[in-house]
Amino acid sequence: MAHRWGMVVDLDRCTGCEACVTACHAENNIPTVGPQEAANGRAMHWMRVERYWEGEYPDAKVKFRPVLCQQCDNAPCEAVCPTYAAHQTDEGLNAQVYNRCIGTRYCANACSYNVRFFNFFNPQWEKPLHLQLNPDVSVREVGVMEKCTFCVQRIKTGKRTAATENRELKDGDIQPACAQACPSGAIIFGDLNDHESRAARLAHSPRGTKLLEDLGAEPKVTYLQRQPWNESDA
Amino acid sequence: MKAWLAVAVLALSTAACADWSNPPEQVRAARVAARSRWGTSSVYTPARSSLADATRTHFGLRADPVQPFAYSHRIHLAQDLACVDCHQGVESGPRAGIPGISTCMTCHAAIATDKPLVKSMADMQTRGLDFAWQRVYDYPREAHVRFEHQPHITAKVECSTCHGDMRQQEVATRQVNMDMSFCVNCHREKKASNDCLTCHY
Repeated sequence: MAHRWGMVVDLDRCTGCEACVTACHAENNIPTVGPQEAANGRAMHWMRVERYWEGEYPDAKVKFRPVLCQQCDNAPCEAVCPTYAAHQTDEGLNAQVYNRCIGTRYCANACSYNVRFFNFFNPQWEKPLHLQLNPDVSVREVGVMEKCTFCVQRIKTGKRTAATENRELKDGDIQPACAQACPSGAIIFGDLNDHESRAARLAHSPRGTKLLEDLGAEPKVTYLQRQPWNESDA
Repeated sequence: MKAWLAVAVLALSTAACADWSNPPEQVRAARVAARSRWGTSSVYTPARSSLADATRTHFGLRADPVQPFAYSHRIHLAQDLACVDCHQGVESGPRAGIPGISTCMTCHAAIATDKPLVKSMADMQTRGLDFAWQRVYDYPREAHVRFEHQPHITAKVECSTCHGDMRQQEVATRQVNMDMSFCVNCHREKKASNDCLTCHY
């Protein structure tokens, strides 16, 4: 059976340290735009950690939610792309093809999760910082849209390693950069079609919810959170 | 009197321009980036360094690479060497390795040691030097292509399909025009995936 990649984020484990954000930037050659343009809303973070305050000081509680592309089954971004740059692959990845993208930005406007980013500038790295760019990932130029790929280069590497060692791909072989960097193990990636995989089992947890579920985009990222009204849930 | 006036105007305008001599950081960064157009940059960017450069890329015009050493594929392949003997890692990874002197010397420490080229190579090794081989095949950055050798080797695609018959070539030259139709035709024929994300990411 074909793979169907999905992710589970355990919010009860997330400490909001943003190691995932840093790892994502390093892995995927995501440029920074400087404070001025970030203030103009042109910062690019394929992954971000949203912060929610509950209560008033000094009894305030803070909750964190890492938000990345939800790789929707019924993705609003795909339907609006005039060049089919945004499309669904056989493995359930919501792909963005830079070559096809003409920069209409319709997809970013259609996206309910605000996880698509437009290259308003050609990215720049002060030398010798360009030596840390990942050769397995493109450097995107001005005028194209980009987004989380579920680290498709790592999915390919995992498959390649399994093929070289003449074995089936097993759960845990593939880890996106964010999942690898997470110190509390809050991010679990896996094949949702493999019912034995950790991600598939956790996706059915009673703690699980989808982000903005009622929009009907059918995201493949599940958020786990102990509900205050149902403390007995595991 | 006129001279004094001129000096006063000059002094005032210098004072007004004082801010310009110490620009904020972003302005300075932008100036550095502007200089990068002419190739003396301290900044790495995917932007083409000049219009001529962009035009050449667009039309796929590239100079043939000049290799630093007169290595002959023809002579070595006539000795029944296989490609993977020197281009290691091709069966397990995305890239086919380009051999350095140490790889050559595994054989040439004992074979043909009296040939002038082998002697000069051994001399380079003792001086701690290595070959600066030039890339023959490459994709322009805008193509966003991530080619992987291993799946092609596993699928039993011959090296010569893309690299030409190396037994006839001295120094490697581009034999095959690797445009997208070349890749896609073969993928269709072999029923391999033609999804964009197979190669472009």
